[in-house]
Amino acid sequence: MEAPPVTVMPVTGGTINMMEYLLQGSVLDQALESLLHRLRGLCDNMEPETFTDHELVYLLKGQQGNPFILRARRSLSHPTAPWHLRYLGQPEVGDKSRHALVRNCVDVAASHSLPEFLNEMGFRMDHEFVTNGHIFRKGSMKIVVSKLSRILVPGNTENTERLSLSYLVELSVLAPAGQDTVSEDMRSFAEQLKPLVHLEKIDPSKQRH
Amino acid sequence: ISGVPFRLKETQSSSCEKQVQEVALDGTETYVPPLSMSQNLAKLAQRIDFSQGSDSEEDGPDGESRDQDRDRDREWGKQEVEEEEGTVKFQPSLWPWDSVRNNLRSALTEMCVLYDVLSVVKEKKYMALDPVSQDPSAAKAPQVFQLISKKKSLATAAQLLLKGAEKLSKSVAENQENRRQRDFNSELLRLRSQWKLRKVGDKILGDLSYRSAGSLFPHHGTFEVIKNTDIDLDKKIPEDYCPLDVQIPSDLEGSAYIKVSIQKQAPDIGDLGTINLFRRTQKPKAGAQPWHVKLEAAQNVLLCKEIFAQLSREAVQIRAQIPHIVVKNQIISQPFPGLQLSISLCHSTADKKNSRSSPERTKPDDHLYVLEHNLHQMMREFHKQQLSSVVMPRPASAPFGHKRLRLAGPLAYDKAEISGLQQSEGLLEKIIKQAKHIFLRSRTAKTIDGLASRIEDPQIQAHWSNINDVFESSVKVLITSQGYEQICKSIQLQLNIGVEQIRVVHRDGRVVSLSHQEQELQDFLLSQMSQHQVHAVQQLAKVMGWHVLSFSNHVGLGAVESIGNASAVTVASPNGEYAISVRNGPESGCKVLVQFPRSQTKELPKSDVIQEAKWSHLRGPYKEVQWSRMEGRNFVYKMELLMAALTPCP
Repeated sequence: MEAPPVTVMPVTGGTINMMEYLLQGSVLDQALESLLHRLRGLCDNMEPETFTDHELVYLLKGQQGNPFILRARRSLSHPTAPWHLRYLGQPEVGDKSRHALVRNCVDVAASHSLPEFLNEMGFRMDHEFVTNGHIFRKGSMKIVVSKLSRILVPGNTENTERLSLSYLVELSVLAPAGQDTVSEDMRSFAEQLKPLVHLEKIDPSKQRH
Repeated sequence: ISGVPFRLKETQSSSCEKQVQEVALDGTETYVPPLSMSQNLAKLAQRIDFSQGSDSEEDGPDGESRDQDRDRDREWGKQEVEEEEGTVKFQPSLWPWDSVRNNLRSALTEMCVLYDVLSVVKEKKYMALDPVSQDPSAAKAPQVFQLISKKKSLATAAQLLLKGAEKLSKSVAENQENRRQRDFNSELLRLRSQWKLRKVGDKILGDLSYRSAGSLFPHHGTFEVIKNTDIDLDKKIPEDYCPLDVQIPSDLEGSAYIKVSIQKQAPDIGDLGTINLFRRTQKPKAGAQPWHVKLEAAQNVLLCKEIFAQLSREAVQIRAQIPHIVVKNQIISQPFPGLQLSISLCHSTADKKNSRSSPERTKPDDHLYVLEHNLHQMMREFHKQQLSSVVMPRPASAPFGHKRLRLAGPLAYDKAEISGLQQSEGLLEKIIKQAKHIFLRSRTAKTIDGLASRIEDPQIQAHWSNINDVFESSVKVLITSQGYEQICKSIQLQLNIGVEQIRVVHRDGRVVSLSHQEQELQDFLLSQMSQHQVHAVQQLAKVMGWHVLSFSNHVGLGAVESIGNASAVTVASPNGEYAISVRNGPESGCKVLVQFPRSQTKELPKSDVIQEAKWSHLRGPYKEVQWSRMEGRNFVYKMELLMAALTPCP
């Protein structure tokens, strides 16, 4: 079978090139309650919401170079909601003084036949996981406190095993490229969470072994 | 007397015998030099023992002198006894008067000494008592010291008192301060229960904006809570004193409102944007805290500003056929030609109010309060929509945004559906539509009322529905003739007044759409009224037993009416002898003709063709009735009289 052509050009989402500004951190399970309490106070006056999502990571391997990764995610708590297909680019190696990780981001809402479609295109599922936790919002900032669980039997989201004794905390903003004031806001917000959780800019490519 | 020789002997013995001091080796005796008189006195004085009784027996080298003493005593005692009793024999120890004697003796001694001292003092020979020279400074010193000590003690006392007073006043002040502090805290607590507060540094800041309620207005709307300390503790605390005060941003001070009005003719463009009407001062609600009143006023100013900012933004953005004009604090739009809707933001600060209010009061109040209220309401709805449209994305990684818009891709929406999702009517468009409707409604009412008052026959009745929508209301129009309401119910119109046009629904279901033009409605109603008369004749004929020969709403013959068409009816009397023909036009008015039977017409020329008697039953010629000279108060009544006159008596 002929390997499909893999684009080497950066993927952009149409006319508006959206970037994801990201800060990450983690808290132990014991500290979760106090973090949630703090977030409830800091974030927009809304009822805190919980979520359970199932994410599948698809790879498209070319002959050379890095594989092309797409993430397909669906909500287990809202089965009728559309799937979410996401492309995340490599983190920008730009300004060191920038406070947040910046990477290209393309978000697409997709129908429920997304896995089949991706398979047909030649993508192969690399791994899948279930994530559940709490989601907060402050203005354009999204704060997700989630726990990752491994899926023991492929495709069965009921049978899971938690990966660690801590929660992943992510602070992210979607903004057009070049809006570095966003990272300032994020930094000041992260400062307010300081003793509970240290949100930092973590480059996933350097974490990989 | 006997004692004297004894004494003499003794003195002799004592004086003749010299004491040997030492005997030298050659045998010469050195005597003690005889005592001088003063030495002797001193020696004798040494011997006297005042404390002891005279009869104390002492052995010593001075026995002779003691004897001498004893003798003298005895002599004195003898003398005393002789003086007093004379018979009492001297017996030293057993003598009963011994103590008396002793005391007397000691008293005598004292007296003698006193006498001696006095004589010594008196005779300046021996001793002189000179007054000691007194040092003036030494004499003054105690006075100064006294003064100093007095001063000191006074000062101490004063200090004590002062300290006490200070303590008292401090405790009083503290009490008051405490009370005030407590009041401040309780006020703060009350404030906290109604307003959003947060502490920044050593300041307490509050938020009076509607941002948490969904507002997107960029004004931060921050106020500061301050402690009201500029009050004199000594003076009486005024009634409306409040320990807590709020400082609102200067641009939110005073009072503001949105004024919406519709004017017929456009004022000079130079006058635009200077509208500055002020509402009468509102009396604060009794019992409300001053800070609450202040904050509510500021919040109202903020909301008005937000509404106006939103409206002006839309006014600039929206492409209307006649562009909206935004001048200073006024937005001008033309909903209908020749009509001007003006929305203005009136913001008054307290100092301006006094100078401006009086001349403005004379102006007529052309507020459209309903629209002003609706503007506020719509703004709140907009806020609510903002708040409720924020839903957390599912799955969690999805971006924030419109939930239904996310469905557009998976559900393959077409362009129309997507634009339907995105399009939302702005505040200005809504308010203009409402203004149009309100204007159209009031103009319709005015038209109907004008016709009703101008035209007495037939009558117009309008029944306004009290259940209205902001964009639609309806009125039922009945055209009747007085006294014949029951039989003449032909014209019932339902007028649905919309935003741009009026839809008229006839009783039989026909629908006529009229534009916003006043004349159209008036003409339509006039034509309906003219038709009503003909309908009324038709109805009346049925009641009277006449036969309707022909009826037409729109007559194609005769003069052309400028409004609508003329209508006509012809009715025949029960026996068919007479016929009445009525033609009624909205403009030309009514024309009534009566057809007589041929037999009754004398002046008809004899025709050669119709010779036979049966032809006399043919209808004769028409004659016009001078309708204005007919008796009767309205058209239908006149018609009834005419019909009655033409009906032969049985």
